Amino acid sequence: MTKIKTKLLAAAAIVIGAAQIAAAQDRVTWWYEQATPDQQKLIKENIVEPFDKANPEQSLKVDYRGTELDKQLRVAMLSGNGPDVVYTAGPSYVAPMAQSGQLMPLDDYAAKYKWQDRILPVFLKMGEYNGKLYALPKTYETVGLFYNKTLFEKHGWQAPKTLDEMETLADAMLKEGITPFAAGNADWRGANEWFVTLALNSVAGPDNLNKALRGEMPWTAEPFVKSIDRLNSWWQKGYFGKNYFSLTSSEQAADAMASGKAGMMPTGTWQFQNVATYGKKAGSEAGFVGFPSASGDPIFPLGIGSTFSIATKAKNPEGAATVINYVFSPEVYGTMNSAWQGEWNIPLKDISSVKMASEVTPLFTETMKNLSASVADGKYGYTTWTFLPPATDSYIINGIEEVWLKKISPTDYLTKLDESFQKESKAGKAPAVPAR
Amino acid sequence: MPEKVIHMHRLYVLPTLIINIVIIAIPALLTVALAFFEWDGISTPVFVGLDNFAALWDDSVFWTALTNNIIWTIIFLTVPIGMGLLAATMLLVVRRGSNTFQVIYFLPVIIATAITGRVWQGMIYSPVTGVTGLLQRLGIEIANPLTETSSALYGIAVVDLWHWWGFLCVIFFAALRQVPAEQIEAARIEGATFFQMIRYVLLPGIMPTITLMMIMTVIWSFLVFDFVYILTQGGPAYSSEVLSTLAYRSAFYDLAVGKAAAVSVVISLFGLAATVLYIRAQASEFEQ
Repeated sequence: MTKIKTKLLAAAAIVIGAAQIAAAQDRVTWWYEQATPDQQKLIKENIVEPFDKANPEQSLKVDYRGTELDKQLRVAMLSGNGPDVVYTAGPSYVAPMAQSGQLMPLDDYAAKYKWQDRILPVFLKMGEYNGKLYALPKTYETVGLFYNKTLFEKHGWQAPKTLDEMETLADAMLKEGITPFAAGNADWRGANEWFVTLALNSVAGPDNLNKALRGEMPWTAEPFVKSIDRLNSWWQKGYFGKNYFSLTSSEQAADAMASGKAGMMPTGTWQFQNVATYGKKAGSEAGFVGFPSASGDPIFPLGIGSTFSIATKAKNPEGAATVINYVFSPEVYGTMNSAWQGEWNIPLKDISSVKMASEVTPLFTETMKNLSASVADGKYGYTTWTFLPPATDSYIINGIEEVWLKKISPTDYLTKLDESFQKESKAGKAPAVPAR
Repeated sequence: MPEKVIHMHRLYVLPTLIINIVIIAIPALLTVALAFFEWDGISTPVFVGLDNFAALWDDSVFWTALTNNIIWTIIFLTVPIGMGLLAATMLLVVRRGSNTFQVIYFLPVIIATAITGRVWQGMIYSPVTGVTGLLQRLGIEIANPLTETSSALYGIAVVDLWHWWGFLCVIFFAALRQVPAEQIEAARIEGATFFQMIRYVLLPGIMPTITLMMIMTVIWSFLVFDFVYILTQGGPAYSSEVLSTLAYRSAFYDLAVGKAAAVSVVISLFGLAATVLYIRAQASEFEQ
């Protein structure tokens, strides 16, 4: 009898001990979006493994949920079964979640980890909802103008600074049988809004955009009509080529520019990798400038790729905060942004101690430095996907095709845009916009 | 006691009944209810009465989508059924190689939708990598049909037709083989031509199968989503939008779940009408 008792006690001790070991290593869950096996390996080697090593009491578990992450997240959060680290596709996804109490305010963690001193303040402002911090942006990006330097040198062309210069250049290209803009939307309908963003920022300008985003100016105002009119004139003149709806915005667009079939490519910093790949293949060199404006000063519209938050129902909120804090380090910036350019441009204030890999093109590093400087000076513009609420953004993308294909006028387009924006803005769905 | 034994058999329907209630009835009723609410999929739904339907009434995209669904139904009620019938009767008349042809016709049916869509997009329609591009380089001015507002819907329909008609052909062929051989023999002896044979012997013989396929075509046509979403996502400029892609975009991009539910209710109304027709047709058949 006593023997059995001792055995039982021993077994109980083992069970309790094992449970304590398990408790000592708290699991932190993070659902990530689409990533190729190579990209998953980068995350494993540069984030998960060093994090687990630096935080032996925590164990990070990254789950790859594919392109449907956003939909899965919404359902899971509703039922309270979501991950600890909530990873969204941008601030416009954060506002509705924060509004319905699914996210935890991060202000205490911000104080604990001194995020105010380490992260560019504009981005902290953009993660706020009703005065509280709910999200940190993982990466920031901008749209501008890539051009085929080799082709430009051959024809004696200069990279355009003003919109008029760009139009003269594009007309010259059309005469030579070169498509002015390498562009397409067969893989990503959202590519449409890159051009709407560029037109709004370069014609109407960031100051007017700021007013409209804060509800102080309607979207039907004259500067915006002029912007859409101008964009429409580019389409009608054939700047986007005749195969826009058939080409992909990523590989095929980059290929068209690198091969010289097209001269310029208005797109985002996420294209650097494709530009390098196809440039090498075609033996041409690429340049990148801020998109031309009316005045000639380049404007960098600011975009946020993805954001980090913590779920209100997180099982391990402390662990989630440790993970987020770990990502915001010069080490992660250096390793991830070198290997996976454009997707890990973490908004750190001080990147002087960052070590970038040697194979990164100087063009990319230089562009990112320019962008970070213009953001620090407050001279940035606004991307539609970062600053507009969901239904309005979806209308920007689909409605512009109706303008291009002459189903509606630019004024009709802006009227519907304004209706949608006012409705969503009133319902509290609009992301935070810092004052200028 | 014996009474209880008699009622035992009712228990057998219980498992299917539970599955149907949980997987079909409850979500369906919730969708109908949601059509009267405004909901972003995240916060608490707000009751808005008929607002969602009123908004649809004023939405030009909704009418484009509905018209496209009707065009789609008309195409699929005629073209693939005609092609299927013609090929099936020919298989019946000319027996040599009929097995090989059946396999060839049926092959596209078993390829996954996504793959069929991508193959047509990349290998046929693309001006860079497809047949269209090849013809363009040979100097023949031909556009990718998916990129023109006037032809996008038909460009998608061609892909769906290619994948679909073989199925109808095989179904009709199976039905045709059930037509009594004596009738066919008698018609032959009487000197009926090929078309007379179709018109007076074969078609009446398989009418129930054709009716069923036509009713199912109406239901399926209002549910069409996959090929449209893969090939054009309803574009360009909403020209190939159908009700299901409109519902999908409303729910998952515009975060207007109530509106999406209202569109789904409209879709199911058409399905319901077709189902009523089907049940009536079935009932009259039993009476005969």
